[in-house]
This record gives sequence, C-alpha cells and structure tokens, in this order.
Amino acid sequence: MKRAIQVFALLLLVLGVAVTPSVAQGKTDLVIGFAGLAQETLDPPVAGHFNKYYLALLYDYLVGTTNDGTLSPKGGIATKWENSADYKRWTFTLRRDARFHNGDPVTAEDVKFSIERNIGKRSTTGYAGPLRTLIATIETPAPDRVVIVTKEPTLIIPTYLSRALSSEGMVTPKKYIESVGDEAFARKPVGSGPYKFVEHVSGSHIKLEAFANHWRTGTPKYKTITFRIVPEETTRIALLRRGEVDVTDISRERVKELEREGYPMHFRKEDAVVSMWTVLDPNGGWPAPMKDKRVREAMNLAIDRTEVAQAIFGGHALPAAIPLGLSWSFKEIGLRVTPEMAYPHDVARAKKLLADAGHPNGFPLDVYAFLLPGFPEGKAFAEAIAGYWEKVGIKPKLIPVDYAAFRKNWVDRKAPGATGYFNIANRNWVGAYALLEKMAYTPSKPNDTAADPEIDGMIKQVMSQTDQAKINALMRNIFTRLRSEHLGYPIVYLHSPYASSKALASWNPGTVMYDFFFDELAATK
Amino acid sequence: MLRFVVVRLSQSLVALAILSVVVFILARATGDPLSMVLPMSATEEDYANARAYLGLDRSYLEQYVSFVGRAAIGDFGTSIRARRPVSELIRERLPNSFKLAAFAMGVSVAMAFPLGILAAVKKGTAIDRGAQIVSILGQSLPTFWLAIVLVEFVAGRLQWLPAVGDGTLASYVLPGFTLGWFVVAGMMRLLRSSMLEVLDSEYVKLARVKGVIEPRVVWLHALKNALIPVVTFAGIYFSILVTTAIVVETVFAWPGLGRLAYEGITGRDFPVIQAVVLVTAAIVAVVNLGVDCLYAVIDPRIRVAR
Repeated sequence: MKRAIQVFALLLLVLGVAVTPSVAQGKTDLVIGFAGLAQETLDPPVAGHFNKYYLALLYDYLVGTTNDGTLSPKGGIATKWENSADYKRWTFTLRRDARFHNGDPVTAEDVKFSIERNIGKRSTTGYAGPLRTLIATIETPAPDRVVIVTKEPTLIIPTYLSRALSSEGMVTPKKYIESVGDEAFARKPVGSGPYKFVEHVSGSHIKLEAFANHWRTGTPKYKTITFRIVPEETTRIALLRRGEVDVTDISRERVKELEREGYPMHFRKEDAVVSMWTVLDPNGGWPAPMKDKRVREAMNLAIDRTEVAQAIFGGHALPAAIPLGLSWSFKEIGLRVTPEMAYPHDVARAKKLLADAGHPNGFPLDVYAFLLPGFPEGKAFAEAIAGYWEKVGIKPKLIPVDYAAFRKNWVDRKAPGATGYFNIANRNWVGAYALLEKMAYTPSKPNDTAADPEIDGMIKQVMSQTDQAKINALMRNIFTRLRSEHLGYPIVYLHSPYASSKALASWNPGTVMYDFFFDELAATK
Repeated sequence: MLRFVVVRLSQSLVALAILSVVVFILARATGDPLSMVLPMSATEEDYANARAYLGLDRSYLEQYVSFVGRAAIGDFGTSIRARRPVSELIRERLPNSFKLAAFAMGVSVAMAFPLGILAAVKKGTAIDRGAQIVSILGQSLPTFWLAIVLVEFVAGRLQWLPAVGDGTLASYVLPGFTLGWFVVAGMMRLLRSSMLEVLDSEYVKLARVKGVIEPRVVWLHALKNALIPVVTFAGIYFSILVTTAIVVETVFAWPGLGRLAYEGITGRDFPVIQAVVLVTAAIVAVVNLGVDCLYAVIDPRIRVAR
C-alpha cells in the first residue's frame, strides 16, 4: 500500500512538473481567461458588440478613441474628418502607414468595402440598421480619402464608425475577402490591427500574435495574446493562482476573497445600468394601471436601491435614478444627476400614491425573472424587486423564464403590464441616443418601453439636429423627462470586476462599451 | 453475423430518422435563437434580415427537408451563433470528447477491475468493505462537486496538476478522474457480483479440483465469463462519457461535444442541437453494435447461437 502511494505521488509529481505554469508560459504571452467569448466569430459584420474586445486587436477602426471613448485621430485609420456645410458629406482622411497583416496597404477602397459589408443585410451588429438608413453612398475620391454621403444632415457618422460603439467601423481587406470569400475570411481573418490571427479552437481559445511596428502601438510587448474560454469561475480563479491567466472576469461575490489574496481588482465602473420596464399594450400605449403616473412613481419609491446594491450586488453597484439612463453619456451632454433626482425608499408615500391612484389594495403584477450574460444575479434581483413591490401592496407574481421568452412577450406585446429588465451596457451619447431611439421612441414600435409623445418629439429632433449644443440640450431634456414622468424603473448601475495577475496592477479597462483596451496594455509607444 | 450487423444497422437508421423529427420539433419549441445572437436593441428589421440570411424564414417543412437532405451527406448546416459549418464544429469537438472519455474509461477500468475482483475473491474482508465504500462514494459524490473540489484544491491551491485541458497528459488527469470516478462504482459492483456468481459455478469448482492454481482460476477462467455484463456496461457508459460530459467539460474548460451541446441549447442554436443529438445517437448505435460483436468474441456460445 505504502509503495502504491509512493508511486501515485511520483506520478503526480512527474505530471505536474510537466506543466508548471512558469515553464509552460513565457512572460511575453498575455492570457485572458473569460467565461465566454460570445459567438467566437472573427468577422466584424457577424460579431457586433460582444466580440469587440478581441476584434479591436485584430482590426483597426476607421475612427479611433481614447479609452474613455473620446474620438481620437491617433487611434484609428482616419487622421482627420470634416463635414460639409449641410452636414451631409463627411470626408475622412486616411493614414498612409496602415497595412494589413498580409502586407497590403489600407486604402479608401478597403474602407468603403468594409463599411458597406459591415452594415449589409447579413450584419448582426448593433448599429447596422440605423447606418443603412442613414448612408446614401460612399465615395473614394483618392486612395487616402473617403467621403460618406448621408441622406439626412447628421453629426453622428464619425461616432457610429468609431471604436466607441460596435464593429461597423472596423476595416477589412477588400482584395483578400473578395478572393477567398466570407467563410474562408471568417476562418482565417486578416486585419490591420496590432495583433494578427494565429488560431481559433472552437470552445477553447483564440490566439493572436503581435504585428511588428504597428502604427497604433509600436511592436506590442506581448508576443501573443490568447483569449481563453473558461466557463467555470472556480477554474478561472485557479488559473489565476497558477499564473496561467493574467486577466479574468469574476463575480461580484468573489471580489473580497481575491483582494485578500492580493490580486489587483479592476472595475469597469457603471458598466451597465439595470433598468426595468413595463411591457406596453398592443397599441403601444401604457397599460392600466401603469398608465397612471402615480402608480409608476409608487413602484419606483417602493424599491430600496441602496439595499439592492449592497445585498444583491455585494456593494459593487450604485443606485440609478433615470430610466434607460446611460451614465457614460451624461458628461458629454452636460447632465448632472442631482440628489433630488434619486428615488428615496419611501414605502408610506408609495402606498399613498397607489391609494390616490385608486389601488389601495394594490394590483396583480407579472414580474419576469431571468438570467442574462454578465448578470448572474438576475433571478435573485427579480425576487428582491418583487418583494419590495409586495410590501407596498402590489401582488407580484414571479414568472421564471429565459430572456428569449421574455423578449418575445415584450416585443409582441403579449404581456401588457408585466415587467422585465436588462443589464444595458453603458455607452456614450450616440450609443445612448441609439438606445433611446429603440426603447423610448414610439415609432420604433416593438422595442418601445416609454410611450410618451414629448419624448418621441425630442428624439426625432435629435435625429436631424446638427448643432451639438442643441443635441446635448435635447438629450438632457429626454433624460429629465424620463425621470420626471417615471417612464421606467431604473434600479442600479453595476460595476464589473476583473482580477489580474499582480504584474498587471495598472491595467485600465476604460469606459468604452464592450471594450477592454488590451492593446494599450501591450503598447510600446 | 453479417445478417445480424445489417439488421442492427437498419434498426439504427430507422431510430435516427425518428429522432431527427423529434429533435427538429423540440429544438424549435424552445424559442427564437436570434434573441440570443442579436443585440438587445436590435429592431424587427434586423431580426427579419438575420432570419432570412439563416433560412429561418422558410416553412418548418422546408427547413426539415433541407436539414435531413444535407445531414445525410454530413452537412448539418451553419451554426446560428458561430456562423460556421456545424460539421466543422463537430469535427473539432468530437475528438476531444473521445480522448477524454477514453482516458476516463481507462481510469475506471484500472480502478474497478482490481477492486471488483479483489472484493469478490476476498468477500466479507476489509478489502471488500473498502471497495463498498469506494462504490458508495462513486455513486453519491456529485460530479460537479468533485470537479470543483479538485480544481480548487489540487489545481488551484496545491498546484499539483493543471486545471484545464492544454493537450498535455497531465491535463487529462483531473477531468479524466472526475469523469471516470462516476463509472468506477458501477463497474466495480457489477464485476464483483458477476465474479461471485462465476466463482461459484461448477466449471470453476472443477478447475480447482483439477488442481489449477487460484490466480489462474480467477484471472483466466472466471474473469473471462464474468466480463460479459461488464463489457455491456462499459460500452453504454463509454458512449455516455463521450456525449454527455457537460459538467466535466465545463468545469475543466474542455472543448468537447458536451459543451457544444450545452452552448447550442443555451444559444438556441438549432443546427448545433440537431447535429449533436444525431451524432450522439449514431455514436450510441455504433458502440452498441460494437459491444454486441464483442460478446461474440468473448463468448463463442453467443456467436454460435446467432
């Protein structure tokens, strides 16, 4: 028996030594271990928001941004962009030192081809629809000039095609794609970013290799960056402890444990706003009893947001005050959320408002409960909110479903009066506007959550407005009215935690939607 | 024998055809896959475009005919989520599952055979009782718990073995043990009872009377006949290990067929779900056929009877 134990111990030792992390991995390799890599697609038009953080290494954007989302001529293929007097022609001047990984130069023809491809009908990206509607033609008067002609005057073309939003502005090689086809390109993509494609093993990892002397980063200091899929959190943490991953996403509840062990924590503050809404009636109006503003206010006052932030999200959240209030846009549009705008937790007033509205004994309310990516607390959250509403006399009924089932009921208006929620990724003002256009603008119909003619009018004005100051004022007014009319139930802003190896203590994941700026971590210039 | 194989193959094809209808209907009963692929703010126009591009706007009958027609030549369509041919995804994932299942089965056999045989030979002793404890633990410890504990302590804290699959032999140990541990208990108990039955049979007694030494009686005469139920068990469990190791593949980040199925289900990726179910059924059918053929090799009486 003793001998058997000795043999087993020896076997473990031999096997273990064979893969000692420090031996298996040099310091020039950066490994990111995430729970998932979304669709694991490497082609911009079928990737969209969710894959941006690795696609941004492989491709350049037409318009770059700094890591706080400010458009920057230093971060993209365009070094300059100008509008015509009528705001219907946008001219982009392209840099001449950008090359694809196959050696071809990046030209105006590539940019035109990329945009048309990225917003084409097979696209599943977030802003392809609005761009298709907006863009009339794309002209290429010179190899380093692209002119985007729009059907209506607009200010937002550069932002739509920037790193601040989705993947519509990513530049891909025309010649290569036309010669190999979409499918082959998706398998072996070629971009012009600071990292080139090495391999993609489905369900396992995506590996990229540094592209020397890149205009954006210089020669990256990490020879390779590997994005590894590790679905189980315990395993990701084990890999971090073993030094086999350098950055990993973790749940809010395990933050303290890793902090105690000395691992640097990096938060994307206010990464998402958890907003709840009422499913409108089939005609797009407010169903009873939420038609009454007092009921909506009562439902908001019933919720103790500070307690939710503490108890459900481990303190890694902040109370939210504005329905659909994407706070990363507030600074740009000059909106200040005053203490008066915050909803107090006021059960007595909530009950009085319900009584005044003719519902002293409450009313039945369907509360859909589901999990979402990045929101594992979903069901506990729904239960907590239902509990608050119950305390003011409402009779909530929790309906456990998955998001797809809820979405169908929401957009088909099959459950008028029921509530649902989403952890909506935070974004800049254009992203915020695009979201409002989908979720607060009655003419967009299925997704609308805030039937309000005044808001509809203001959103419509933003579309055609070309004066940024006026746009900012309109945006401020929209958010203010969403709050004053209680057109939804904003709950909290979520902070998303990421743990890193001790060597990466200074990593700043930035405040751009679905991006982590790993290229900045690798930059040598 | 050939007739037997042909009949079994025909039965399997009929079962696969019925299964294709069932899985086609059930996969679509779970909801719209596009809500998992498109951004939350996607418009109905975006949905319509994606639906048309992926062929989901056709009638169910058209979709089914197209699915069966292409599946017959090994083309399972394009994954809605990954936008890649499903057959390519299966080709990437299936070998990983086979390798892990083979390792796990090796672990099971290596543990269950000596324990099962010793428990039978030393019936009622401390060894037998020890084997019973192993058996109880094997059947009662949930796989997910065992996997998490091994990752947390053996890989994370003690750092003895890798936590995830990285192609090295060492990376097979924890997932292989976790997966195999579940099989050890059943295999060992089955072998023990089968051995006890055979050791009590007339021909074994005769061998002993004739003076055949005990190890030869046990390992040669008894074990061979005790193997038939164990081979059936191993065959069934091998196909289970290949196709349903979802928990183990998830915890150990092992890109196998189980996780592909899970991703397909959670993403409502019809083509992936359909393909995984059909491939799984095909594997089970082939393994069962293989087991049947193996009977004949182990026990010539079965061959003669057929």
